[in-house]
Amino acid sequence: MRKYIERLWPDTVASRAIMILVAALLAFHLLGFWAYRVGFESLAMAARDRGLAEHIVSIKRAIASTFDAPERDRVAHDLSSASLEVHWSNVSLVLGNAPATERAQIMEARLKELAPELAAESFRVGFADDGALGSGNADAYRHMMLVSVRLTDGSWVNFSSSALGANPHIDWSVIAVTICFGVGIVVVALLLLRWATRPLRDLAIAAERFSIDQTPQPLPENGPIEVRRAARAFNTMRERIQRLVTERMQAMAAVSHDLRTPITRLRLRSELLDDDATRDLIDADLGEMEAMIDATLEYLRGGVSSEAIRPIDLASVIETIVDDHLDQGHRVALIGLTSAPVLGRVLSLKRAFSNIIGNAIKYGHTARVTIAEAGDHIAVTVEDEGSGIPPADMERVFQPFVRLEESRGRETGGTGLGLTIAASVIQTHSGLINLANRAAGGLCVTITLSKAGLSSASSVSDAGQAPALSRVLWS
Amino acid sequence: MGLFREAERKMDQDPIKTIAEDHGHILVVDDDPQIRLLVSRFLQRHGYQVTGAPDGRVMMDVVARTSFDLIVLDLMLPGRSGVELCRDVRMTSQVPIVMLTARSEESDRIIGLEGGADDYVTKPFSPRELLARIRAVLRRTRSRNATEIRRSEIVLFDGWSMDLRRRELQSPSGTLVDLSTGEFDLLVAFVEHANRVLSREALMQFAKARSSGDPFDRTIDVQISRLRRKLEAVTNGSQLIKTVRGSGYVFASDVRIREGQSA
Repeated sequence: MRKYIERLWPDTVASRAIMILVAALLAFHLLGFWAYRVGFESLAMAARDRGLAEHIVSIKRAIASTFDAPERDRVAHDLSSASLEVHWSNVSLVLGNAPATERAQIMEARLKELAPELAAESFRVGFADDGALGSGNADAYRHMMLVSVRLTDGSWVNFSSSALGANPHIDWSVIAVTICFGVGIVVVALLLLRWATRPLRDLAIAAERFSIDQTPQPLPENGPIEVRRAARAFNTMRERIQRLVTERMQAMAAVSHDLRTPITRLRLRSELLDDDATRDLIDADLGEMEAMIDATLEYLRGGVSSEAIRPIDLASVIETIVDDHLDQGHRVALIGLTSAPVLGRVLSLKRAFSNIIGNAIKYGHTARVTIAEAGDHIAVTVEDEGSGIPPADMERVFQPFVRLEESRGRETGGTGLGLTIAASVIQTHSGLINLANRAAGGLCVTITLSKAGLSSASSVSDAGQAPALSRVLWS
Repeated sequence: MGLFREAERKMDQDPIKTIAEDHGHILVVDDDPQIRLLVSRFLQRHGYQVTGAPDGRVMMDVVARTSFDLIVLDLMLPGRSGVELCRDVRMTSQVPIVMLTARSEESDRIIGLEGGADDYVTKPFSPRELLARIRAVLRRTRSRNATEIRRSEIVLFDGWSMDLRRRELQSPSGTLVDLSTGEFDLLVAFVEHANRVLSREALMQFAKARSSGDPFDRTIDVQISRLRRKLEAVTNGSQLIKTVRGSGYVFASDVRIREGQSA
């Protein structure tokens, strides 16, 4: 229930403004309507009461001026109208001991005031609903106001009015107009407010895009003054952040780049050493340093490369990586398609897949690589037999410089950039990378890339040669 | 792996081989004095006569006065860049040039080769890699004959196209097929000697001549089977490399050469 209300609660500036506008206008309208109604009614009532009093007086006179009973009855009948029925009778319609209710008293006083002639006579006022009815059927006089005036000869003229005291009926047309007003206001306000809040929406969109874009465009500073100020503040902040990031990146790139000269010198110096064992150790350390620098520079490029996008046989790229690991004595298997054309940058893709396969070997001791076709996509899965990744860390591993085995010491080395680089490369290729823990233990990395549109020569299968050759290369 | 490396090191120290291969005058152009000194000392150890130059001005002076067998040229130099210098040298001389490129970005490698360099080594390079490249380039220029294919060329066979400058292989459908350094060198050796039976030993020699310092420690048969697999995956098993029982392999295809658009 609470959730439902929260959902209905207007959330945008426009809808809130519309709500306020409609509420205010509705209140104004209803109050105005009520005030008008009250004023109009009191006026109408005064006029009606005066008319009634004059009517009663003149009818009474007319009846009093005739003397025989049938004549009086006829006159009473003739003078009756839809709203005021008149009868001449020997008895009073209103009981002498009728309850003097408040409205009866008010009515009596008003009639006396409006027709002073009546004050001199004996007359009774009562409402049928209040139990003032002396005789006859109560049903016929339901809701009616009754007035009985005694003539000088002791007979009575009985008036009954349905117009008086009838319940005021609801004027539906006024409500319909009010509703139409409300709908009209909502429509106009919606259009105007959407126009008025567009600069705010643009600001929000620009702020969202800021993190995604490599070089975001400055926000146009237009719209109302508050939005202009916000846009200007946003632009200033954007420039400041951009400058900060660029400076940091440049510093990092410069340091990484400049380290290459001393590393080259060290490589040359180590070559002059006579101690082979030491030289090999130094070479290995230098190799590790180079790898770190390469990874850092690659990360700073953010997957962006000057390389051209071309159709590439992804299977051959993965084969080269797998063969290299086999030569180093690692446990690697490759299964599936032997030809998998994708559109991409060969060096970037090579880097991404060697990071993923390298990780599987480093943390999972083995790598089982499968290349498969899934519709118009190529899906590559890399499975290992390590301990996998805790579900809480699944997203974190893509962040730069995050190494999950940090607590267990740095025995495996690395910069914590491998998966970050792989993910950004796959992203720039409009591909998907997904991590999942295998039921049997270990991690399964799935990379999905769209297949190149080119029809490969391997689509026509040769006699005895299945298009998907399966081979396992455990070493 | 260690065993092969050991074997290679022994081969390097073979006195007869050293005399046969390692002689000549090399000019080393690098603005870092330490690197210049260390490269010079390293190359001198391997039997070369070495002259150093810190920038383009000195280099052009020295080149005008002395003749060299090879120039090792840094891409990033103060004043005129290595690419510009390379072009200037090429206008008057065919002396082999090995570029030292700073980044492993592809664009930098290509710039170096398009300037007319014969080969390149990316910094930070291992001295063994540099030595291997120098030897390979020298051997190629010294024994250049009709069948030898220069690096600035594109080779076509059976719909395949092989860019020797970029070290890229394109399948008949235009898809790039990735080859390891060893596999590419092996394919170059096959293409250079198409339709001729090559023994395992001969292939090993050819491939090694091009080998770029990456220890050539896989058996030649493994390399050939991997190369075959990659070629046949695309062409559905039609064999380009055929085994000749008892004597070696033959690359059965008509090879055409197209000059690359060299600057």
